[in-house]
Amino acid sequence: MSSTTADSQLTDWREHALKLESEINKVVVGQERPVRLITTAIFARGHVLLEGDVGVGKTTLLRAFTRGIGGGYERIEGTIDLMPNDLVYHTYLGEDGRPHVDAGPLLRCGESLAVFFFNEINRARPQVHSLLLRVMAERTLSAFNKEHYFPHMLVFADRNQVEKEETFDIPSAARDRFMMEIPIAVPSDPDIMESLIFNTRFHNADKLVENVQPDVLHYDKLNSIAVNLQDHVQASPTLRKYALELWLATRHPGQYGVKIDGVDINRLVLAGASPRGMSMMLRAARVNAWLNNRDAVLPEDIHTVFHETVAHRLVFSPVYEMRRTEIARELLSGIVNAVSAP
Amino acid sequence: MKKLFSNAKTPNAPGIPFLTFGLARRLGGLTGFIVMLVALASAPAFAEDGIAVDPRVSVKTIEPQRDVGYSVGDILERTIILEAKKPYVLLETSLPIAGNDKKRRGKGSGVEVRDVKLETTRGIDTTTYTLHLSYQVFTNNIVAKPANLPAEFVKFGGEGKNFQIRIPSWSFRISPLAVYGSVVVERDMSGFRGPLTLDATRHHQLLWVALGILAASLLGLLYVLGTSSWLPRMGGPFARAYRDLKKLPTTPEGLSHGVSRLHQAFNVTAGNSVFDRTAFLSRKPGFAPVGHEIDQFFGLSRTVFFEPTAPHGIDGDAMAWLRKFCRRCRDCERGLK
Repeated sequence: MSSTTADSQLTDWREHALKLESEINKVVVGQERPVRLITTAIFARGHVLLEGDVGVGKTTLLRAFTRGIGGGYERIEGTIDLMPNDLVYHTYLGEDGRPHVDAGPLLRCGESLAVFFFNEINRARPQVHSLLLRVMAERTLSAFNKEHYFPHMLVFADRNQVEKEETFDIPSAARDRFMMEIPIAVPSDPDIMESLIFNTRFHNADKLVENVQPDVLHYDKLNSIAVNLQDHVQASPTLRKYALELWLATRHPGQYGVKIDGVDINRLVLAGASPRGMSMMLRAARVNAWLNNRDAVLPEDIHTVFHETVAHRLVFSPVYEMRRTEIARELLSGIVNAVSAP
Repeated sequence: MKKLFSNAKTPNAPGIPFLTFGLARRLGGLTGFIVMLVALASAPAFAEDGIAVDPRVSVKTIEPQRDVGYSVGDILERTIILEAKKPYVLLETSLPIAGNDKKRRGKGSGVEVRDVKLETTRGIDTTTYTLHLSYQVFTNNIVAKPANLPAEFVKFGGEGKNFQIRIPSWSFRISPLAVYGSVVVERDMSGFRGPLTLDATRHHQLLWVALGILAASLLGLLYVLGTSSWLPRMGGPFARAYRDLKKLPTTPEGLSHGVSRLHQAFNVTAGNSVFDRTAFLSRKPGFAPVGHEIDQFFGLSRTVFFEPTAPHGIDGDAMAWLRKFCRRCRDCERGLK
């Protein structure tokens, strides 16, 4: 593909991406930043962990995106008795009185699976996490003596950080597979809050999602577009050095003069961001630059995705884990303030 | 002042008392006693302390100028001139001995002979001996104390016999080192005391040297506390950046260094990394007059460091613009609009 054609294609796709964003923002109001971040993750081909309370619109948001990008959408609820095979198949007695085996949520759509939503992932057992993490990393699954591929699949999982009963903490290795952890919060704008209560169009989520224009993107073209996009958007030596400094700062924040009230900064971080994590951060930053019609990554692009791509990867001392969300936010803000570019 | 002590008026009469007592025995009674009193009253040949003056040797003394205000360690000098008729000569073995402190009732007087020098001048009929005696005071007291240079006896010999001459004592007062009791200094204006001044030249020199060092140290301290600047607000981040910018060449490398240097100034001024105008102005509203230029600067930085093809909107020489912008930031930093 020639350079001009690729540029033109990327320009077209940017318009599609922005169109998708505007479509989503029509039905999920007050969530512009999560919408932008999910769009970024879609084009960076990264899995997303959603964090938020119940009833804030996570499922509606994902269904809206699924409608916009096309392809298959599957969902499973995380429960304490969920087993890995429940994702692959389920058995039942048919009307004919004989046992039947049907494909589970992972296999039901085949290769056209575009979005797999794992609701309340932290309620599922570690065995389930294990299967899912393999599928996320390799996008393949061995079942029924056959290798199944999910080349277009993105996993969206959500967890409720408040409830701790009957939950299993997601290990750091599992968290690291997710490109982003995006907080979904209740909109703070009083007008939007009032609208969410009184506007009848928000009462029926199915009808609401139908307002999104279907197939704004073509899910089966996203992989190739993502590759072109990553090749197209450049990172200068200064920016590379800056990203490297940020990475080092996540590992040794004390050496960069970062301070957090009530926290011994030198004992806080057990493990900083992983190489995979920093790679995902830069992929997301490139997509952000592209969405902002730029051909090069700027520090602002990194800042836009820094918290969401790095915070969930950090491993803190157990004594600080209970305040993880608050400390991670302060730590990463401190790092951005401490590291200069150039 | 010279004090002369002369005994020339007194005739030698060593045998007079004995003659007088002899006559009294012969005359007997009251008459003899009256004769004795008349004889005593008309005997000027006796010295004050009862030693007769000898016509063979005349004694003159030159005493110290003042007789008060001496203290321990002070040296007093007196000169004795002895004029002896020939053939009488001074026996030098009779001279005072240096280091000798005359004792009275077994107790030292505290005035010690320090040095003895003798000069001899021979004339036709007489020989003049000039004796230089110096004494050192080795005593003190908490109040003024009377003391004296002791009487000395020197011997002469001639015509087969010896005789001795008394050099009279000389009284003076030893002053205390510290004032005892309540003294009003203004009333203690004794002309004899004399000003007691010490040579303070070296101390003055040391004082000036110390003052010089102190002044230099204070200036150095001022410079350090002023973050390497001589005047308030002189050493601000933008002021220092402007000085550095003036030294940079007008080349792409120079421009890159200049933009980086200015980024440093922004970061130091804000206290954290600065990436856009809004965050910076919220912390430092004093820079609002250059808000538009700050946008242009970040645009230039983007072109230089991140996206070479991006337009920065600066016409002409970017380095010149950067210097001008930095100077304007320096003015804002100093509170000038």
